Amino acid sequence: MAANQALPRQRSHKRTQQMYDALASLIILASVVFAVFPIVWTALTSLKREEDVVTNDLQYIPQHPTLENYVTLINRSGYAIMFRNSAIVTLLTVILCLLVGTFAAYSISRYRFKGRGNILTFYLVIRMFPVVLMLLPLYIMLRSLGLIDNLLGLALTYTTFLLPVSLLMLKGFFDAVPADLEDAARIDGSTRLGALFRVVMPLARSGVAATAVLLAVSAWNEFLFALMLTNSEGSRTWPVGLQLMVGEFQLPWGLMAAAGMISIIPIIIFFAIAQKALVRGLMVGAVKG
Amino acid sequence: MSLDASAPPKSVSKGTARRRTLTSRIGDISEGRFWAYLLLLPSFLLVAAVVIYPVISGIWMSFNQFNIMRINRGMKFVGLDQYTSLFSDPTFWIIVRNTAVWVVAGSITQFTLGLITALALNRKSLRWSPVARVLILLPWVIPSVVAGHMWALLLDSRLGVINDILVRMGILDTYRAWFADPQTAMAAVLLVDLWRAFPFFTLLLFAGLQSIPEELYEAAEVDGANPWHKFRAITIPMLMPVIVAAVILRMIGLVNSPDLMIVLTNGGPGYATYVLALHAFSTAYESFNFGAAAAISVIMLVILLVFTTLYLKFSGVNRD
Repeated sequence: MAANQALPRQRSHKRTQQMYDALASLIILASVVFAVFPIVWTALTSLKREEDVVTNDLQYIPQHPTLENYVTLINRSGYAIMFRNSAIVTLLTVILCLLVGTFAAYSISRYRFKGRGNILTFYLVIRMFPVVLMLLPLYIMLRSLGLIDNLLGLALTYTTFLLPVSLLMLKGFFDAVPADLEDAARIDGSTRLGALFRVVMPLARSGVAATAVLLAVSAWNEFLFALMLTNSEGSRTWPVGLQLMVGEFQLPWGLMAAAGMISIIPIIIFFAIAQKALVRGLMVGAVKG
Repeated sequence: MSLDASAPPKSVSKGTARRRTLTSRIGDISEGRFWAYLLLLPSFLLVAAVVIYPVISGIWMSFNQFNIMRINRGMKFVGLDQYTSLFSDPTFWIIVRNTAVWVVAGSITQFTLGLITALALNRKSLRWSPVARVLILLPWVIPSVVAGHMWALLLDSRLGVINDILVRMGILDTYRAWFADPQTAMAAVLLVDLWRAFPFFTLLLFAGLQSIPEELYEAAEVDGANPWHKFRAITIPMLMPVIVAAVILRMIGLVNSPDLMIVLTNGGPGYATYVLALHAFSTAYESFNFGAAAAISVIMLVILLVFTTLYLKFSGVNRD
């Protein structure tokens, strides 16, 4: 009797589960389409001839696929320089934030001293200051130092919002390295600094890499500071350059799409390679700061 | 590094008398009492120079008349004049209202879509979700400038594929100029930001869901709970800390970034998409009126401090 009743109930339970699976699949599919479609559409547009973009009947698949837009863009002076500028600023920012951030994060992670909790809160709070408020005095300061329109000056200002992130992320990763290992190294005669570089850093390397990737993506993408603090081609980064090209010269859509694709390809490749590290990094970065 | 220079000489001579290399000297210092503080010193100096000084001097600037194009005239103290002239400007209140709409509608839509997606990804019987996870995260790493131009093309009033699809489906009669129509401009920018930021919520909420112990659900099932009960009694309470932290962080982000408006609408049409961050930025960047821009930023600072306090209170990051 009891078995008889259990059977249909189990069957209906299974059916409900299948229904939920179907629903979840549908939601995931819709989200993926929503997330990816704009990028795919931009890629398709970048492969069209301009007359195929500006046409009354919309082409979903490019009828005359061509790399013409990319060729024009690469030959068109400015873009290579802006890429170089962005790469330099990104590199400087990553080095600066990792170097300074590693020491500070290690100190907060390993030592118990007065005011430690407050320091952590302090770094969280400064991340939330309005960007423009800092931009105005920074502009004046950099101007008097001759660092306006200068890649080092730009990298320095990026540390305003990236140093706290890198510090909080690195602290999380250092916390995960057992202190026992360090103690063992120190018994073997290593100094604390030696232990940091020979024991802690190698063990936390995937975390350090995740931090570096997140810093690099943020610096590579940054727009507002760069717009305000650069004014010549010699130091303009690509997001600013792209915006000015579209805004002032009425850039054709196909070229714009190609420019967008070229700019995000490094990020997408990064993302594909360091996907796990990056997700971990984004997560810690987002939660902690 | 400047560790060597800033170290007290006493601790260097503490070691044995034999000749030492630079690295072993620094190594020695690392055994000293002040090492923890020395390690923090570079970051403090940097933060003092690029954050603390600018913020304080920015607040001071807001009590002055100061135009960067007439820098040789210097600052002139005007007390609260910048604030009173802001408050008496009727467009300022339109901008404040827009900012509220932008922040509230933005965080609600992004959270909702992020949560639904995270719940779907969390179903363990689905095999393909790791791939989907990566694809869904992509918009979050696309720079705002590119995102803006991508969507400008998608929603274009003549060539936009979204208009084309909607007309083909019979939802629209004719193409619409989403960004140029005051009725739809804010919604259109919110849609772009939804695209860019819902993955942020998916990422965080998914991680939160993964950390809820399976046993809780099993126990509830034994007690005959239906999925809705389980969602309300287990999922939501367990997820609450993550939800609060994520929503407040996103609100801070929304208050702070005028990027999409700069790229897409420049606040227009009229004042339909003008928000505080854009107001501050264009007052500085286009009118060069740094005093007024500083005053707007200080108002944003007050708003952000409220969010920050809430964040620190609810997320427990400084409990540690």
